[in-house]
Amino acid sequence: MTGTRTDHIVSVRDLAIGHQREQAILSRINLTVDRGEMVALIGRNGSGKTTLLKSMIGLLAPVGGICLLDGRPLEEFSLPQRARQVSFVSSQLVQLPSLTVEELVSLGRMPYTGWTGRLSAQDRMLVSRALAEVQMEAFSARKLDCLSDGERQRALIARAFVQDTSLMVLDEPTAFLDIPNTFDLIRLLRRFVEAGRSIVYSTHDLETALQCADKLWVIHNREILEGAPEDLGLSGLFSELFSSSGVLYNTDTGRFLVPGRPRGKISLEGDRGEPGKWTRSALERLGFQISEKQALKVRIESTADGLFWTCTGRNGTMRFDTLHSLARFLIHD
Amino acid sequence: MLGLVLVCLFLADLRLGSGSIGISDMLAHLTGRKALSDQQLLIVTRFRLPRIATALMAGAALPVCGLQMQTIFRNPLAGPYVLGISSGASFGAALVVLGAGATGIVATWSLALAAWIGAGTVMLLLLFVSYRIKDMMTILILGIMFSSGLAAIISIMQYFSQASALKSFVIWSMGSLGNVTGTQLSLMAWVILPLLVITLTFSKVLNGLLLGEEYALTIGVRVRRARFLIFTTTSILAGTITAFCGPIGFIGIAVPHMARFLLNSSDHKILIPASMLTGMVVLVFSDIVSRLPGTEQLLPINAVTSLIGIPVVIWLVVVNRKAQSL
Repeated sequence: MTGTRTDHIVSVRDLAIGHQREQAILSRINLTVDRGEMVALIGRNGSGKTTLLKSMIGLLAPVGGICLLDGRPLEEFSLPQRARQVSFVSSQLVQLPSLTVEELVSLGRMPYTGWTGRLSAQDRMLVSRALAEVQMEAFSARKLDCLSDGERQRALIARAFVQDTSLMVLDEPTAFLDIPNTFDLIRLLRRFVEAGRSIVYSTHDLETALQCADKLWVIHNREILEGAPEDLGLSGLFSELFSSSGVLYNTDTGRFLVPGRPRGKISLEGDRGEPGKWTRSALERLGFQISEKQALKVRIESTADGLFWTCTGRNGTMRFDTLHSLARFLIHD
Repeated sequence: MLGLVLVCLFLADLRLGSGSIGISDMLAHLTGRKALSDQQLLIVTRFRLPRIATALMAGAALPVCGLQMQTIFRNPLAGPYVLGISSGASFGAALVVLGAGATGIVATWSLALAAWIGAGTVMLLLLFVSYRIKDMMTILILGIMFSSGLAAIISIMQYFSQASALKSFVIWSMGSLGNVTGTQLSLMAWVILPLLVITLTFSKVLNGLLLGEEYALTIGVRVRRARFLIFTTTSILAGTITAFCGPIGFIGIAVPHMARFLLNSSDHKILIPASMLTGMVVLVFSDIVSRLPGTEQLLPINAVTSLIGIPVVIWLVVVNRKAQSL
């Protein structure tokens, strides 16, 4: 561990979190966020992700310990000062049908406007720039109830952008999004990070987090583990994380697998390249364990007419031209 | 547009009443061409003008209270009376009328004072509660429970009271714009007008609260202070109006929705003045209806505003679906 203290935009020391007067959900938390770093907070439902995020930015009073923002205790910041350092995107859906996208995004400039709330020319410029950044310029006059979930989330993030903070905290930003929208969003967040700012976001989606976060905070067994995704992979954490749920983590591919019920062993011949990879994946999904020299075997044949699979078992040999028909046969036979 | 409607209604309302004094007569008097008789002048300045002034102030104040409550509770059905202010005022009035049996002219002042103290007590209690309790939903429920509790006590008092006292109380609870004259009117103006100007400055904070208290905190809104200021102004405004005019229903709930619908906006910079203006129009209009033009009869204003307000709320909720949210 090297680096000076001010490298950390956030530094959490011996923090204990929980709701008022209750017992702490998590305690002895020590974490840091560097400048220009994207941190993904991973944990199961009810593990305390939201509580941690809210305690970290002062929305919830911690049960114990201290949170430093840019090297200073959080309580030393007045609310408007804090609002210029940290922006927040909540997991709750915003339902304000008659608010326009532009009005929503403009709310992000509130820490900078005077008591009337009037936007300066620069404020307006920042708002339209943020709208352009999230590709929502065309939607600026649109009312919030006319937006899809992905568009509304982008608008909320634009609102956080214009707040011009060094840290952005997002609670489950991808919860309502499909895969393309999720990656769009992550790409947006990466751009924010590349500008030297920091992001902490919570998610269930470990696969995406593994691919794009600089650091993971994983809540497991009422403890928080911190490290680069690969550090945590090396420590064998991921296999352990899902051991109880029956989900398998393939350490070679970095992928998760939900196996079907165990169906015994099978041999695979001609296991090469893409066809090999996908056939293996299909067999594993069905619950077969692949090993050498079994009575039941599948052979991949690459011919001029295309790919074929032959399955040899007790009842002789069958030939299939899709993995789907092979799979149906294996299950019913 | 609204301003023009308001001026027309203002003149129409001024025209109404016993003694058949036309607008042209009044104009002639003002320009000095033809003086009104002393009696006519008395009718205009002592009865008609104070009545309209009261309607204008109540019409501006109640919707602003309702708007503030709807935003802070993030509940489209909140109104100026959700915090139990009206019940507090009623309780005070009930104590004077039903408890002490005060009637007549003496009662007008003590009634207003007692209603004011009642509203103020509820407000102080609520501020205390809101300081201790963070969750707005809890505060809302407490306010409603408080109202119901006070209503129950009032009904017990009504049950055991004299017929004449009961009648005065029922008449007070029907609301009236015509009882505020002279000193009472100027006292009311001194309280209401400065506060209305102050509420205009809350637009930034209220906009910040649109997304909820959590978001408000993260964009630098001092939520506790905002809550204190908003509760205080609402209590004083609604409490004062109720003390002098009795409860006036539905203006506070319905008018902010009308303003939202008319201007299609959530921005409080627009909504606050728009609610004031719309409220003035609606209440002056209600006043005209309550006088049943062409007859000598009077309807209770509270019933008229409810009959006008309820269809508006139903229309907004069922047909327009706007009032289901803010």
